[in-house]
Amino acid sequence: MADSLLGGFRALDLTDEKGFVCGKILAALGVEVINIEKPGGDPARGIPPFLHNTPHPEESLYWFAFNTDKRSITLNLEMSQGQDLFRKLVEKADFVLESFAPGYMDSLGLGYEALRQVDPRFIMTSITPFGQKGPYAQYKGSELTVSAMGGVLLTTGYPDRPPVREGPDSIYFHAGVAAALGTVIAHYHREITGEGQQVDVSLQEVAASRTFNNLVIWEFGKRLLKRSGGVRRIGARSTRWIWQCKDGYIFWTLMPGKFGAPANRALSKWIDEDGLENPLNKVTNWDEFHPAAISREELDTYQEAIAKFFMNHTKKELVEEGLTRGINVAPVDCPADVIESHQLKARDYWVDLEHPESGITLSYPKHFFLSNQTENFVKRRAPLIGEYNEDIYVKELGLSSTEIAALKKASVI
Amino acid sequence: MEKQALAGIKVVDFGWAIAGALVGKHLGDHGAQVVRVESMTRPDLGRADQTVSTTSTTNPNDNPMFTHLNTSKYSMALNLKHPRAREVVDRLSRWADVVNANFTPGTLSKLGFGYEYIRGIKPDIIMAEGSAYGQTGPLARQWGLDGTGAALSGYLHLTGWPDRGPVAPNVPYGDVVLPCFTAMAIVAALDYRRRTGKGQYIDAGMIEVCIHQTTPALLDWEANRHLQTRNGNRIAYAAPHGVFPCQGDDRWCAIGVFTDDEWEAFCHAIGDPPWTKEPRFATLNSRKENEDALEELVAEWTKQHSAEEVMQIMQAAGVPAGVAQTMQDLLEHAPQLKEREFLVPLKHPVIGVFGHPTPPYKLLKTKAQVRTSPCLGEHTEYVCTQLLGMSDEEFVELSQQGVLR
Repeated sequence: MADSLLGGFRALDLTDEKGFVCGKILAALGVEVINIEKPGGDPARGIPPFLHNTPHPEESLYWFAFNTDKRSITLNLEMSQGQDLFRKLVEKADFVLESFAPGYMDSLGLGYEALRQVDPRFIMTSITPFGQKGPYAQYKGSELTVSAMGGVLLTTGYPDRPPVREGPDSIYFHAGVAAALGTVIAHYHREITGEGQQVDVSLQEVAASRTFNNLVIWEFGKRLLKRSGGVRRIGARSTRWIWQCKDGYIFWTLMPGKFGAPANRALSKWIDEDGLENPLNKVTNWDEFHPAAISREELDTYQEAIAKFFMNHTKKELVEEGLTRGINVAPVDCPADVIESHQLKARDYWVDLEHPESGITLSYPKHFFLSNQTENFVKRRAPLIGEYNEDIYVKELGLSSTEIAALKKASVI
Repeated sequence: MEKQALAGIKVVDFGWAIAGALVGKHLGDHGAQVVRVESMTRPDLGRADQTVSTTSTTNPNDNPMFTHLNTSKYSMALNLKHPRAREVVDRLSRWADVVNANFTPGTLSKLGFGYEYIRGIKPDIIMAEGSAYGQTGPLARQWGLDGTGAALSGYLHLTGWPDRGPVAPNVPYGDVVLPCFTAMAIVAALDYRRRTGKGQYIDAGMIEVCIHQTTPALLDWEANRHLQTRNGNRIAYAAPHGVFPCQGDDRWCAIGVFTDDEWEAFCHAIGDPPWTKEPRFATLNSRKENEDALEELVAEWTKQHSAEEVMQIMQAAGVPAGVAQTMQDLLEHAPQLKEREFLVPLKHPVIGVFGHPTPPYKLLKTKAQVRTSPCLGEHTEYVCTQLLGMSDEEFVELSQQGVLR
């Protein structure tokens, strides 16, 4: 088997759902990620959906999704024996990932400065709603509320309804990726200089990092972009992004200049072939077309004609024939469609992971990216509660069975 | 200047638009020497963008959005279609540790500058290409946008109201997340090269990256044959969980009550009105069953307050809440973002002083040091003569022949 990018390193993962993704990514890159759960299991195991729709801490599909490849041990960090064990684990670890309220780890004597005394090389990555310092550092946060504070939420939805959230936990996911990036940059520096450090990730700021276009439109144009349904503003003019067709929805948009010309030209031709009224014929040179260079009314007549055309066709027709005509229509796929995608199958995107305890095998996305030299794949189902207690406490730290029994009795593990 | 984490790393950056440009920004902000290779003959979508500017919308150097995406880079002008471009690409490849690109798959190879060619010049090169669909597979040669990744990953299908079609935020997603992955893979590959001496090629596709966030919905379909769809602001394990109207024009506060403790704190924070004691709101399950009524009652309370008051009252009680902030809020009333230096004021030679974004993850010892973005070709001479070691004569000759534009 080929190497993975970061094989041979170890992370301790103390995060809740706000930070799961960081450890999941590092694990796919080969880092041995040890998930440290409270005795009894992480409360995030209570997040739905569940296998067979029945709540059970070993059958949360949300937990399954974001904890692949991790190992789990149980440990009570609020007891001094637990803290001692944790320090021992830190000595052998390269990374600690956590998402507690700022100051909580310090209150246990396990904050960055304290652990640095144990191992100056270690990297602590902290993922919190607002970051480690500042006036809102102690504010609580969730996917929805950090989307609000980061300026994303207000731009999503219809003008006649409240702003609406992105369906998945998109900001948690993005923050996990940003955290993994920061962690790997810190790791690179550590491997060269021997110096570890803390990486401080704010979910609010991660959300806000997507708003650059809107920020400059306010700063330099004093216009606020609002939510506008399936219409998107990128560049000087809003254009429709999401269109209804006969049997569903598609993504397509009028792009300017030489970049958009082949698709725009081909679409106009197809509208003609359908025998529909076609105001797009007014465009004499698509290479020089720009949605911002014509009036709003003119653009609206184009888009109305395009909308009528799309309603004439099914998703399948638009995607398949669009492909041969070079129109680049993307279907709005549901999860069942995603699993059937030929493109993904051709790239060997799925991996079957067995859940023997539940008697089921499930397909998971296998990679985040591909490499010709290394394999950075999802390989193992998420762990059961404390599944690796024996491996870590007995085989590695050398605790005896009597000691383990005592720790269990004292609710340390 | 303090030492930066990626000091000494040399990057040739063909990355353009949003998803490509941000890769170089992540690396450059942390100290890598990033040479953005671009051309007057086919300007970056960001430079051609006419959204806002301070002088002229057609001036490629007067574009605040481009600046946001391209900090901490050098700019070198090079027309890759010129017959003599190869000489310059060869020199750049020899110089570089990393090559980053996100042209439509096949474009670089067609120009003669694909991975195989560059590896021939620099055997341990780390090369990353971002794209919509990935570099292989039946759809590989299709170009795509942020919306392509959103549509094909299931993300759009899941976003919006149950009784209406899908919606997209008026901000990008995949275009911003993909470059985080690409940059991460590059830095991990640098560490791998340090240990093994081997370079590699990274193929990162936006759709594949975006799908991961929808994994719970994929598993729900596979295991339970339950097809998730749009559900507004509601989620199964919290109630109330929504965005509530406040005083003022289009002002809203998001609130999420997850635990029994938070529900109790929430009720107390709004003054324990009698309805909060009704059995239909006593448990999470009963609140979920009566969510319409619950949301109306919560809205009656929030409407009597400003969004900021609602947030502060909730947060003081330990309930997650956040104002749905505008861009004006982010720029003018965001003490927390200011504390983190979300934007640092820097002087751009054409635009003047304005806020440039820092990475949202902070390395506390080797801090990101953001420099303003370059004008097109601003560093062509510097790169050619100082970094690539060209003689003055060669530089002048290539310039005169139109290679460096």
